[in-house]
Amino acid sequence: MSLLNKTNYLKRKLEISDGNDYLKFLTKEKDIADQIINHSRSMITIINRDYIYEKVNSTFCNAHQVVLDTILGKSMGDVWGHDTFQNIIKRNVDICFSGKTVQYEATFYTPQSGKRHFEVVFRPLSVEPGKITHLLAETFDIDDLKNTKQAVIEKEEELRKFESNLPIGFLRCDPKGKILHANQAFLMIADCHDDMLVNSMNLKSFYLEEELFDLQIEQLTESHTKNFGRVSLKSCYGKEVPCRISGFLAVNGSGAPAYIDFAVEDCSRELMLENRLLQAQKLETIGSLAGGIAHDFNNILATISGYSEMLHEDLPKNSALSDKVGKILGAVKKAQSITNQILTFSRHVEQEKVLINVSEVLKETIGFVKSSIPSNIILKSRIPKMNAYVLADPTQLFRVFLNLMTNAIQAMEEDGGKLSVNIAVVEKEFVQHELNKDIVADEYVLLTFKDTGEGMEPSLIGRIFEPFFTTREVGKGTGLGLSVIHGIITEMEGEILVSSKKQEGSVFLVYLPVSKSYSTINEKKNLSRKKILFITGNKYESRILSLALESAGYELVFISDGRNFVKVMTNVRERPDMVIYMIDSKQITPDDLVGIFKSQKILTPCILITDPTQEISDEKLLNSGIISQQLTKPVSLKEIRNAIQELLR
Amino acid sequence: MPGVLIVEDDKELREMLKMSLLRRGFTVIEAENGKDAITHFKPFITDLVVTDLIMPEEDGLKVVIKLRELKPSIKIIAISGGGKVGPGSYLNLAKALGADAIYSKPFSINDLIAKIEQLLGNEQHN
Repeated sequence: MSLLNKTNYLKRKLEISDGNDYLKFLTKEKDIADQIINHSRSMITIINRDYIYEKVNSTFCNAHQVVLDTILGKSMGDVWGHDTFQNIIKRNVDICFSGKTVQYEATFYTPQSGKRHFEVVFRPLSVEPGKITHLLAETFDIDDLKNTKQAVIEKEEELRKFESNLPIGFLRCDPKGKILHANQAFLMIADCHDDMLVNSMNLKSFYLEEELFDLQIEQLTESHTKNFGRVSLKSCYGKEVPCRISGFLAVNGSGAPAYIDFAVEDCSRELMLENRLLQAQKLETIGSLAGGIAHDFNNILATISGYSEMLHEDLPKNSALSDKVGKILGAVKKAQSITNQILTFSRHVEQEKVLINVSEVLKETIGFVKSSIPSNIILKSRIPKMNAYVLADPTQLFRVFLNLMTNAIQAMEEDGGKLSVNIAVVEKEFVQHELNKDIVADEYVLLTFKDTGEGMEPSLIGRIFEPFFTTREVGKGTGLGLSVIHGIITEMEGEILVSSKKQEGSVFLVYLPVSKSYSTINEKKNLSRKKILFITGNKYESRILSLALESAGYELVFISDGRNFVKVMTNVRERPDMVIYMIDSKQITPDDLVGIFKSQKILTPCILITDPTQEISDEKLLNSGIISQQLTKPVSLKEIRNAIQELLR
Repeated sequence: MPGVLIVEDDKELREMLKMSLLRRGFTVIEAENGKDAITHFKPFITDLVVTDLIMPEEDGLKVVIKLRELKPSIKIIAISGGGKVGPGSYLNLAKALGADAIYSKPFSINDLIAKIEQLLGNEQHN
């Protein structure tokens, strides 16, 4: 009530009453005022400039459980203790007497409710015009409010944590798509770690196709909730990220759109695994198809080779016609090697497997590759001593590693580069995460072949394991290499993965399950072992074959010069059960071999291994009568074992 | 002369085998699938059987089992152009089931004939 209204109000009252009535009126008014003050839920006191309590309401007395007289007329120092008054209260009271309302929060003890939280307000009061004579102190119990506030803060914090730990991107946008809030997961998807930046952008700008976003907003306006399935977003750096997106539009009281929540899930891994599965299924289909064709082809080849052999017999030796038939037989051999590769790819060929340390095979292959690597290519490898035992045909593994390294070298032939080869044993959990396939072992050997070559287009990567797929010029290679490798590794229950970037290079990862039975490796050593004499020019390749044969239980002796050969062959105690002769041996030529066998009258069975790419004539050797069996490279463990078993029977 | 039964569904290959055997003086009996071979098996004039493995009707593995049962002394050679059942190849299975020799196609006919002569020669010595 303003001063003027108050005067008028009093005047009217005065007109209708005498002095006595006025006193009565004032008493009544004071009574009402006292009642209001006493019934307030706040503690109210009035303090004069001498810090003396002039008025105290009953709420205050009740809270402190004191009677009015113990406070009225007492100074604040008396009531609260002089230290508390000097250190805390007086400062605020003096500010208030200077004309300012003071408000602060404090925790203190009241006998009625114990220790609680209060809000204290000091307001300046003027009883004489233009002068601050008193102050009005009001104290509210805000403990419940405070607790509720704290609970809300805690809840909010909990929600924030939950939302930021969520593996799914969460966004709140205004109805036009402007981002109001984005959680940590979304920042990760967007590859942006400045949430201020993200929060100033429109979600639309993260869409690879921005029009699609407008369409989705329209759909949300109609249906409020919608799952949009897979949508391609782009990160802050422009990288495409496949995501699964759903939206929820919230409306305000009048039904107008208020905000939109979006859930954004990165599905690149899921997509990658899906693609890989699709790829595997495709290769499986091609495999069974190609396997069937190869089978039929082998029938046809058998007919061709059979008739050719008959013709060869019928025709006079060394005649022009006989030569031509010889060419047909040569072509059949080539065709057979292709059908064999297809059968390997489609896993229709059974691999003979022995327990073998992959690191040893890798070491030999690297040695072999290093002997012929171009000078502009660096081969870096780190092959520590390790127990990386797998069940495999070492000759096939050699083929896998050789092929991968040769491919890498070819990719760097023009500009040079670096080929890094590494081997490690990894836990199954790692493999499970990387491959998402059935795990067959506790550990896997992981081999990495990384080149800095020309790399591949993304469209090609998915096709490189298909048979007859090649990026080389027509006529250079059959394009069977990688498909055969895929077949060999799949047959071993392993996996081969590739990643590649144009102009940066390619990485091939080979996972092979570690065999559980490698602890039994030494048990075979006590068997009575057959001794095989190995004559060869290439130590790496023959080392692979010997690794294979030693694991299969044979004892191998290497001979590189003629004198030693004669010595071994003529000593009855040293004489081997069999001789394997690789035609690439420069120390012991085919003529030397025939000469020694004939002059020493040696009857030991001899297996000849020829190389179809080398033009060394083996006709004379074959006709000499000392060769019991001939094999053509690449020789698998199964082939050579069958040959040995057949001859030693 | 010893009789050789050829079980092969590929007609050209069967004829080639037949011709090469006839040239060496063998008596040749033909069957175009496993069922045919088993139902028309003539134990008294068949000393050796050359059988393909993957064929329509009854396959070659059945031929190996059945003929061995009908004539335990018979010599069996299995030939195949590839293919696997489970973890093993058809050829290895045939061997395990009692085939005396196995050849994967394409094979050298001279090697095959030499093997046939060796197997039948051994029998005569026995």
